[in-house]
Amino acid sequence: MAREVVLDVSELEPPEPLTQSLAASERLERGDYLRLLHRRRPCLLYDNLVQRGFASETRAGRVVACEVFIWRVGDDEAAKAARAAAAMLPPADHL
Amino acid sequence: MSYTALSLAQTPPLAVPLRYLLTAPLFAAAAGVVVVFAPEALLSRWTPATLAVTHLLTLGFLAMTMFGALQQLLPVLTGSRLPHAPLLSALVHIGLTVGTITLVLGMGTNHAVMLEVGTLLLLITVDIFAVVVGIALLRARSAHATVGAMGGALCALLITILLGSGLLRHFEWQVPFIHPLTDLHVMWGLAGWVVTLLIGVAWQVVPMFQLTPDYPRLLRRFLVPLLLAGLALWSVVRLAFATDIPFVLVILALLVFAATTLWLQLRRRRLPDVTLSFWRVAMVMLSGAVLAILLPGEHALLFGVLFILGFAMSAVNGMLYKIVPFLIWLHLNNRLQQSGQWQGRVPNMKQIISEAAMRRHYRLHLLLLGLALLALFWPVLARTAGAALAISALLLWWNLWQGRRVYRAVLHGATV
Repeated sequence: MAREVVLDVSELEPPEPLTQSLAASERLERGDYLRLLHRRRPCLLYDNLVQRGFASETRAGRVVACEVFIWRVGDDEAAKAARAAAAMLPPADHL
Repeated sequence: MSYTALSLAQTPPLAVPLRYLLTAPLFAAAAGVVVVFAPEALLSRWTPATLAVTHLLTLGFLAMTMFGALQQLLPVLTGSRLPHAPLLSALVHIGLTVGTITLVLGMGTNHAVMLEVGTLLLLITVDIFAVVVGIALLRARSAHATVGAMGGALCALLITILLGSGLLRHFEWQVPFIHPLTDLHVMWGLAGWVVTLLIGVAWQVVPMFQLTPDYPRLLRRFLVPLLLAGLALWSVVRLAFATDIPFVLVILALLVFAATTLWLQLRRRRLPDVTLSFWRVAMVMLSGAVLAILLPGEHALLFGVLFILGFAMSAVNGMLYKIVPFLIWLHLNNRLQQSGQWQGRVPNMKQIISEAAMRRHYRLHLLLLGLALLALFWPVLARTAGAALAISALLLWWNLWQGRRVYRAVLHGATV
């Protein structure tokens, strides 16, 4: 059963959102995905995630401006659950 | 501001901005030393010492930090690097440093040759910088408000330096320069170049580092055009009809910027920090400087202290305490990532420059502001204010230098 790990970095000052997001991603276990709540689109995060073997999907948030769903590449169960959760939110094109 | 507008992969080598940011406090310290030995700098607008101190602060401290910040921010905002960034940075840094020292020595000693050489060096340096940065701005695909503000600030800088050099030539390289164009030179430099660039930078760093909401879209679009149009209209009307009425547009723009920034800061959700404290002081001082303009009679020195030390220096100090640790963190993170080392080894911002050290400097800066303002009415305090300026600036330099030491130490530790 896939598990959602929520991390709210929306009130942290740069670069804490990045460092905490990466640390939380590294702690994900098989089947887990990270739901990151952020005040903005975290532009520095994406390259760092790719380099460490993570995939992500970004959406406009309901409570905060931006939500990023993160899972390990190759973890199909987490990917499916993360994409399903992301699909519930509006696209992030305007962010 | 939006992170989508940032392209941090384009960040230039750390030395490109850092050499400016580490040089600037030394000029401010030199200004303090001049006041200690020539306290008349705080007594009259028209003494050689006043001119020397003013230009040590505006060129040596403010322009120096702003040139460094521009070279850092521009590639990140526009997504394209400045051509030959390390060479450009080194050349402009030398030109600005030597040009400022020569000009200021010429002002302090009323030495015509030094004034002429200093002016020439600064004209060449600023022109090179303006052309390279101007081309980059014209090529920028980013429609970000900060990019527009940078272009406006650069135009204001060119007007300032042309007016300044024109005044020097008009007076055949002799100080002081009592002339109708002097006020234009001062206002294009302070309200034009300094405020416009600080506004542009504020669009980015206030929401990012002070965790405030974004500045209203309407303001980002129209505030800088209003300010610069106001300055242009005022300049023409003043020269043609000897009236200052259009300056009300400039005053309006300055007050709107100060009030909006304070309002955004009130809406932030976190505990206060040093940058926030510096910026609050800066905005209150900017409002005070505007009031000094509106007061009947001549209050140029009061305006100068409130604007240069109170507003601009406070804002730059606060900015430096975010930008320098962030850049050091960013470069360490990139370097260690490239060498395949996990970024957990990178110190956090508070470890790069400690909160306590910054807070000490903030308190000293407040003391400096109090002393400088009191010295205008009680001249016996002028030397003490000068000493406070020198010590405060050296403390700023020391704090920034500690950040650089952490950078070197972490890199060294990571490669052995």
